[in-house]
This record gives sequence, structure tokens and C-alpha cells, in this order.
Amino acid sequence: MIAFRREYGAGPVHLLAVLTSFAIAAYALSRVFDLAREPARVGLWLVGAIVAHDLVLFPLYALLGVIAAGAIVPEARRSRLRIAALNHVRVPALLAGLLLLVWFPVIAAKAPRTFMRSTGQEVGVYLDRWLLVTAVLFTASALLFALRVRRLAREP
Amino acid sequence: MRRFPRLPAVGPLREGFWRSPLRGPWLASLLSSALLPLIAVCAVTGFISHLAYQPQLGSNAIFNGPGPGNGFDLYGLGWPTSPAWLYAATQGLHVVSGIAAIPILLAKLWTVLPKLFENPPVLSVAHALERLSLVLLVGGGLFTIATGVINIQLWYPFGFPFVPAHYYGAILFVAALVLHVALKLPLMLRVFRERGWLRPLRDDLAHTRPEPGVPGVVTSAPAAAAAPTLTRRALVAGVGASSVGLGAMAAGQVVGGPLNDLALLAPRGRRGAGPNAFPVNKTFAAVGIPRDRVGSGWRLELRGGGASPTRLGRAELLGMPQTHATLPIACVEGWSTTQHWTGVRLLELARLAGVEDPETLEVRSLQPHGRLARVTLNRGQVQDDHALLALRVNGVDLSLDHGYPARVIVPALPGVHCTKWVGELVFA
Repeated sequence: MIAFRREYGAGPVHLLAVLTSFAIAAYALSRVFDLAREPARVGLWLVGAIVAHDLVLFPLYALLGVIAAGAIVPEARRSRLRIAALNHVRVPALLAGLLLLVWFPVIAAKAPRTFMRSTGQEVGVYLDRWLLVTAVLFTASALLFALRVRRLAREP
Repeated sequence: MRRFPRLPAVGPLREGFWRSPLRGPWLASLLSSALLPLIAVCAVTGFISHLAYQPQLGSNAIFNGPGPGNGFDLYGLGWPTSPAWLYAATQGLHVVSGIAAIPILLAKLWTVLPKLFENPPVLSVAHALERLSLVLLVGGGLFTIATGVINIQLWYPFGFPFVPAHYYGAILFVAALVLHVALKLPLMLRVFRERGWLRPLRDDLAHTRPEPGVPGVVTSAPAAAAAPTLTRRALVAGVGASSVGLGAMAAGQVVGGPLNDLALLAPRGRRGAGPNAFPVNKTFAAVGIPRDRVGSGWRLELRGGGASPTRLGRAELLGMPQTHATLPIACVEGWSTTQHWTGVRLLELARLAGVEDPETLEVRSLQPHGRLARVTLNRGQVQDDHALLALRVNGVDLSLDHGYPARVIVPALPGVHCTKWVGELVFA
């Protein structure tokens, strides 16, 4: 038992649980590979989902965040006002980005023909709606920031 | 314990690379405890949807293979017809919970991302297997949610059939998630015991300090944190508000009425005017039925009991006793719409076909292609008082897009099984 722990790094129940989980996952994968005419596409989407998040989306928004923070709140000029300004930029930006991410297929009108044939409606309205929502988010954030600036200015 | 090598400390593998003071085991635990119930609701209602399709009947099965909700009849009861909003509720919850989970999932991934670059990458065989299971967890989770979100927006770029891929992707995800919860629950409870469940939310910006790591455990807490520019409560409130907001957008498509206006970016967020202006899942133009097949020459064929088929035109059907029912159409894509339908009871038509006590009904559409051109209903569904072959809706004839000359409407039946452009009814 002690030898097992030393070699494996955890108890036997751990190994049993991991192998059970892997067995179910392997079954699910084999079923979907059986049912798909091009199994490689399923694998591509599974791995692609991780790559798209961990190595594309995350670095992209993290980098934009670092650039925004560096520009608005440089280490040497840290103040409450500058931190507030940063947040009044990145919060609406993140919300607009989230909406774009989730509703990307209709906003970018990826399948206008299928959309029309399924719903009987034009898909084109969603880009306008997203731009409108984005404009409202940034405007509201700017107005709130202006109110905060006034309040900060009145404080001693 | 065997020693595994370290990788050179460059880029994200360097300890000082990850700077946010907010990351750490407490934040990961809090986000997880919000995420888990949403995922659980989403998974259970998803498997329920497969049950509602009744794959054991006729050619209803969209794909073969056993699994939760698929390929067997739970307790032999079939899918019920009461309450009428059952499928609207379960499928609405499925789509709303899945979409509401997205901001929390992204925040959770942001919190734990440094662990992807932990160094040394492997500490033991057990640790290596755990990390491999995280590939399944993150890959399966992102895959299942992404395919679902893309599918409800009527874009099919996959190159594989959506339904089995979404279904087996979910099984893979759930298998990895159960393991993940089992392995991490002790750590989560320990973190909550030490730091309090919500206590770090009280800290204002001046008191926002990096979380301590947990001794002996690799955590996402930073080794060299930058000064904070956001409190934990602001982060949690922002993630929570995003989740509620996205969920409300999706819910607007389910609840309807004035809430429909909340569904600003959701694909079914538009209302029209007029009795036939409610949403459709397939237009008449999309299914390729020749126009003359639904004209005055249309006859409904009733079969059953081995006798030659009975044929009825629309005028004859309208001459039969009409039943009124206010029932929802609930789409698998997570929208629903309740309308006032008028038509002939399916049981009435079964008797005309010579079947007094029908066990099943196979509905055949005029639509030439598609898996859903033939659908089989169970005994309770055929015999329900409000199970209709609808001819009219909201006081006017059905429009072509809503299934003229006749469509099926049955309480709690998934929308795609409420067959439009009905050509034949086969009772058994």
C-alpha cells in the first residue's frame, strides 16, 4: 500500500475513480466517432475548443487588459480616480465582448440563408442591436464615471 | 516519490508571470459553487429532452445507443402530457442554465488558468492522470456549451451531426466533472472553512490582498501579485450580473409576453403582429413540399385496423366537432410560444380509422426529407383530450409556415414532434 502510494502518488481509490471516468469518456468518444461521418472533425472541435479559449481568447483579452491598465493606471501614477477610469473602460468592454462571444453566429450573420429558411426572418438586425447595446453600455459607464469624478472632487 | 523534471522558467511557466491579486483557491471555489448547480440543471434537463423524444417508439430515435434518456423508456410510462408546459419548462431551463453558465465558466477558467502552466508540469502518475482528466473536463465543457450555443443560432458549421455530438460530448463532460468534484471537494471545503464562504467579499480595495495558497497544493494564487485595481466583490458582482443578464435574454424566448423584449440578441427575440406571427422552426419554403400538395386537392389519409385508408379533405375535417386548446409549442432550441389552437381530436380520427383504443400513432408529414418527417406518439399522447390535429390558430386558418392544411399539437410534446403539413395518420 505504501509502495503503491509512493509509486502512484495517491491511494488506489483515486486510481479507480480516474479510470472509471476515463472509461465513460472513452465510451462517449467511441460512440460519437462511430456516428460522425468525419470523426476527425469531432476531435478537431474538442481540442479546438481548448486551444481557442486557452491559447487565443484568454491571451487576447488578458493582453488588452494589461495594455489598458498600463495606459490608464501606470505604477507611478496610481490613484483612485485612475483605477475608477480603468474599470469604467474595461467593464463595458468585457460585457460587450461577452455578448459578441455568445451571440456571434447571429451578430456576424454566419448563416443568413439557413436563418431565413428556419425562422422566416432576416438575421441582419443583430449586428445593429449589438452595436446599440455596446454604445449604451459605454455611454452609461461614462456617465457613471462623470458622477464619480464629481463626487471625488467634492471630497476633501 | 519519483522526481519529475522542471521545465525552464520562461514566459507563463515563470512564477512571477501571473500577477492578478484576485486569483486563488477561494475565488475558484466560489465560482465553482455557482457553476455546479447551473451545470447540473443543464445536464439533467438535457438528458430529459432525449427522454421526451421517446426514441424507443417508431423511428423517433435520432441516433442509436444507450445512455441517459436515450434508447429506453423510463418506468415504461412514456413522456406525459401534463402539465402542458412541461417541455417548455425543461427545455427552457436547459438553454437558460447553459447560457447563464457561460460568464461563470469563463471567470472560473480565468481564475485557474495559471495552473495550466504549473511547473514542474507533472508531480506524480496520479497528478498526470488528473491533468489529463482536466483536458476532458475543459474540452468536454467548452465543446458541449459551444455546440449548443451555435446550434440554437441556426448555424451548422460542425461537419458532424449536432445531436449525438452534443449528447456524447455532455456525457464525456459529466464523467470528467464528477471526478473533478470528487477530487476537489475536500480542497473547496477546506478553503471555505479557512477563509469563510463569503468573507473575502467584504474587503474594499484597500483591503484586497492576494489569497494565500494552500500548503502542499498547487493553486492559482499568485507568487508576485500586482496591486489590485478591482475588489473581489466587484468581480463576483460583475460575473453574477453577466450571468443573470444573459440568462434573462435566453429566458425572454421561453416566457414570452413583454419579457420577449429582453431577448434582444437571442435568435427568437422578435414578435410580429397578427394571429400567425409567432415563431417557426422551419418555414414552408425550407422543406420542399410542392405547392399543389397542400392546395384544395389535399386529403388526410387515416390508416389503422388493416382496412383501406379513409381520406378526408379540410372541409370535412372542419365539419367534425372542433376542440379548442391553449397550448405551447416548445422548441428544443429553447424558445416557446403559447397559442390558441382549434382542430379535431386525434382520438376522434382514430375511431374513424377503425381503432377504438390506439396504442400509438405514427404521424407522417408531406415533407419529403428529414428525420422528423415521421414521428410516433405514445398512448397517453394520442388519447389526451387536448391532443389535436389543428386546422386553425387564434381564430384563423393556419398559415403555410405553421403547417397548413393541418398540424399536430399535443400537450407537453416537444415542438419538433408537433408535425406540420400532415399527410397521413397511422393508428395502431
